[in-house]
Formats: sequence, structure tokens, C-alpha cells
Amino acid sequence: MSSRAGLAVQTIGVTKVYRVGHIDYPALRGVSLKIGKGELVSIVGPSGSGKSTLLNLIGALDAPTSGRVIVDGIDLRKLNQDKLALLRNLRIGFVYQTFNLIQRLTAIENVEMPLIARGIPEKIRKSRSLKMLSAVGLRREANKRPTELSGGEQQRVAIARALVTQPTIVLGDEPTGNVDSKTTREVLNYIIQVNKAFGTTFVLVTHNPEVSNMTHRMITLKDGLIEKEQYLQRMDSYTGL
Amino acid sequence: MQMRISDIFKLAFKALRDRKLRSFLTILGIMIGSAIILALIASSSGLSAGIQAQVSKIGANTLTVSSARQFFAPGGSSGTQNYQLSQQDVNTIKSLQGVSDVIPYYSQRATISYGSNSMEGELIGVDTSALFTMYKGLSLYSGSLPDSYDPSAAAVGYSIAFPTGSSDQLTLNQMISITLGGSTSSSLTFLVKGVFSEYGRVLFSNIDDTVFVSLQSAQILLKTQYFSGLYVITNTAGDVTTVQQEIESYYGTQVRVMSAGSMVSSVESITSQMTVFLGSIGGVSLFVAAVGITNTMFVSVMERTREIGILKALGYRPRQIMGMFLSEAILSGVVGGVGGTILGYALSFMIGGALPMSGGFGPPGQTRSSTTLTPVFTPELIAFSLLFPIGIAVLAGLYPAWRASRMNAVVALKYE
Repeated sequence: MSSRAGLAVQTIGVTKVYRVGHIDYPALRGVSLKIGKGELVSIVGPSGSGKSTLLNLIGALDAPTSGRVIVDGIDLRKLNQDKLALLRNLRIGFVYQTFNLIQRLTAIENVEMPLIARGIPEKIRKSRSLKMLSAVGLRREANKRPTELSGGEQQRVAIARALVTQPTIVLGDEPTGNVDSKTTREVLNYIIQVNKAFGTTFVLVTHNPEVSNMTHRMITLKDGLIEKEQYLQRMDSYTGL
Repeated sequence: MQMRISDIFKLAFKALRDRKLRSFLTILGIMIGSAIILALIASSSGLSAGIQAQVSKIGANTLTVSSARQFFAPGGSSGTQNYQLSQQDVNTIKSLQGVSDVIPYYSQRATISYGSNSMEGELIGVDTSALFTMYKGLSLYSGSLPDSYDPSAAAVGYSIAFPTGSSDQLTLNQMISITLGGSTSSSLTFLVKGVFSEYGRVLFSNIDDTVFVSLQSAQILLKTQYFSGLYVITNTAGDVTTVQQEIESYYGTQVRVMSAGSMVSSVESITSQMTVFLGSIGGVSLFVAAVGITNTMFVSVMERTREIGILKALGYRPRQIMGMFLSEAILSGVVGGVGGTILGYALSFMIGGALPMSGGFGPPGQTRSSTTLTPVFTPELIAFSLLFPIGIAVLAGLYPAWRASRMNAVVALKYE
């Protein structure tokens, strides 16, 4: 137990096999890794190497075929659907390449969504959400709908939504995949700031070397296995851009 | 960590508002179903209540006897094959145990005219002194009852003396002319001795549109010695059933005997069947609406697959997602139920206006003007038309909402 206390994520011999018809497609073939609290980790690798699958397993959105996933000291095997949902709500934030905002809701309403699931009163969640939007520089866009925002702005709304719950770990699936290089730099800067200020763990799946180069550690997947792990900089010496 | 009910419904409202037209059409379907149920049931209970009110105007100790075929052969005494009621029958029935009096009468449709007025109405020839016995609560507005044996005297209903939309009104001792309709077209004049207060319909006749003359005058006018029917007054209300049975066993199917009680029960059986029938039409339309909700919900769940994935990623529990979708159905049901009840309320008055309460239960040729049907709204009916659509909406939304809650998050998030 105590050895896991400092870990945000641990996977032990995790495999994931997708079955289409009668044919099995192994996406992960035994991945064991440890990610410490406050770490900024990137997962890279070619398409089909199992990056997103691994992220979904860590995010408790999917269950492994075998092996164990431990998030924040909690073994996901032991949780039912409700407890998994609770874990996602309380400890995990997601940021996606396609932003995944709810189109009919305004920016602030989107940010409020995870707080609504917790039954937090409207006044409190509005002020928290507005604070979060201010932090990503979108205070004035709070009442705009996603369609009225640029890609970069939408991604910042998504980041605000991921962080408003003060999660221990934020999972990003190509978070800069759909934004220009200027926005990429802004988003990365913000991630680094949050990581430093709050010790939030980030696990980012990316193709973009600009992203992976500024993380503490880069994990390369290939054919469902960890091919290599590179420590790029020590957490305490990391200064960002 | 429970979602607030108010938040669930706010989100549901936003989702419905986002698809305005589709939501409107779904709700419209529920509204129509609910409105039809309410309007039809309220109208048919109004009809039932109206008929019962008419029936209750004849006493509980009263029976009517009429020739059996008369019910189905309009035009009165045309067929010789019909049994015809004569003075002999009056004597026969009078001699039965429990009978206190038998009042024979003639009745025929007629055109009544005086001054510049001419109107369709009914002529009833009867011992005029028996009128207050025959019609409970009948009273004179002016004048007096004509003498039973005065061949030229008449008493008229309120609407005859004071026709709506005419300034020409009848005064006492004025002459009126009666022309019979049907095969026997002859005409006689009478002197009006009395005018009755407004009374309304009773069974076969609308008293307000009727001219009452003596039995003898009617006999001359109709050129027949056979009566249109007999009023049988029994000693007590308890004698009605036995007297009815005795008359029926004596005459068999030649005559038709009716009592207030038997009419009420036949009216009740007809109206209750009608209520079931009309109610089931409404039920079918609500069922169609339910299929509509289910369909809309399925489309909605499909379209929002990705949103469901997002909700799952944000940590919404399956039950919460189900609740969110179900509350959209509930909201549709609430709006549809409330709207349908209002619409049905209005609709039932429209039906009441279009479906005049014609005396469908009386001998033919004797029905004329009609009172408008007043729909009856019981609290149970209102509650039913408000709550039933909600129940239907919940049932219709249950499966799609469950499907939404069971969706695989990873697959849902990839959904384009």
C-alpha cells in the first residue's frame, strides 16, 4: 500500500484484446508502468500502438482484458460502474483532441457539467467555473456556445472543464491535435503551470514532439508494448518554456 | 453525491429546447391523445348526466307504455300491423294491482303558428289536469290550465310563447294554429289559456316546444282513436317493477314498457359503453403518442451518443444518465398532459356544441329542439388526463433512457 502512495497511476501486466467477429485484435499486450504524483508524462508511438487504449484504461472508461490498473491507490477491478463513474468525476479529468464539448451548452455550462453530477449548488459551481474560465483567459466568452469559439478557445474550455473538479490526474488524448502552433504553446504553458502549482499529474497521448519534448518522461508504445521510456528532465529542475 | 432534481430538469429542458420542432411534435402527439380522452369522456358523462336529469323529471312511480313498433317506425300510426293502444288497454292496465292511474296521450309533430311566427313543435293531447302529475316540477308562467274537456283550449310551452329571435310574442287568449306534420295534414286553431314556465326536455319531448290540448281535440285532429302512449302511475315507487312485469307478461312484445329506473339503467349502460369506446379511442391515440416518444427518444439517444460518452467521461453514473434522458420524456409528458387537459377542456365544449342532446331515447317523430350538452369534469378525470400522459411518457422513455445509460463510454466517445 505504502509503496503505491506516491503513485498516481500504476498498471500491472495490462492487456486489452478487442474482439471483432471471431478475430481477436490485441491492442495492449502486457503493459506495466508507474506514474508518480505530479508527473508530466507523454505517451507516444505510431497509430495502433495502443496509446488511446492505455489512456482509456487509466481513465477507467474501459476495463483491461487482464492485468490491473491502479489509480490514486485504488484498484479499478474492485469497482462497479457507479464507483468507476465516481472515481472519474472526483479524480480524473479528460481533454480530447476533438474537445468534446456539448454544443448546445455555453462555455460556462460545459465547465459546470462535472460539478452538476456532484450535486453542487448552482451559485457555487458557477463561481468556480467562472474562476476556471478566467484562469484560461475566457472569462468574457463564458456565455458563448462552442460554435462561437475558435478551436483554441474550445480546447481551453475543455481544459477548464477537466480542471474545475481539481482532479489528481488529467488525461489528454492528443490535446493539441486540433489547434494551431500558437495555441499549442499556450495550452502547454498552461498545463505546465497547473502541474507546477497544484501538482496535478498529466498523462498526454501525443504525436507532437513539441508536446512530448516538454514532459518529464516520454513513454513510447509499439504494438501494444512499451518500447522505451525516456526521462527528459527531472521534475524539480523542470522550468517549462 | 446526488444530482439535484432541478439540475436534471434544467438540462432536460435545454435538451428539448435544442430540438424545438421535434420536441413540439412529440409533445403535440401527447397533447392530442390526452385532449381526446378528456374531451370524449367528459362529453359522454355530460350526455349521461343530461339524459339522467331528463329521466328524473318523470316520477319514480311512473311507467310509460307505448306500441312496440312505434319505436322503429317513424311517422306514428301508419302501420296496421302495430299493436294499437285503446281505451280498453287503459282499463286493463288500470285494473292491475298497484296501479293508481293511467293517463293516455296523443303526441305528434306539428307546425305551430301565430302572428308572424311559425315554428316546429309538438302537439300533445292529454287530460290537461294530469300534466302536473306527469311532469314533476312543471308550473304555469301565466294563465291557467285549460279545462280537460274544452276542445278549443290549449296550454303552450315557454319557447312557443316567447320564441327566441322574434319580437312577436304570444299573449293569453290569443289564437294559435296547429298544422300536423306527417301523413295526416290537417289544421285546427286553439285559444291559448296558459303558458308554462321553462321546463326543458323530459324523455321524449321538449315541454318548452309543446302545445298541450285536450285528449278529445287531439283525437279529432289526428283522426284516430288509438293513443300514442300511456302514462301509468303506480301507488308507490316500489310497485313499478311488478307493474312493469305484469304489463309485459300481458302484452308480450306488443308494447314497450319503460320506467324511470329502467331508462336510467339503459342510459347508463349505453353511456358507459360509449365512455369505454371513446376512452379507448383516446387511449389508442395516446399509445400512438407513446410510440412517437419512444421513437424520438431513440433518435435522440443515437444523435447524442457522443454526448453520452462525454457525460460518462465526466463521471456521470449510469443511473444519472438514465435519469437525464427519462426526465426529458417526463417533461414532454408534463407539458403534453397540461396542454392536453386545457385543449381537451376546450374541445369538450366544442363537442357539446356540435353534438346536441337529441332525445335519442324517445319515440321518433317527437324529437326536435335540443339542449346543449354540458361536459362533466370530475377531479378524477382531470387528474387522469394530467397524470396518464406522464405515465405513458415515462414508460415510453424508459427503454431508450436505459440504452443510453448502458452505452460503452469508449465507443460512444468515438461516435461521429
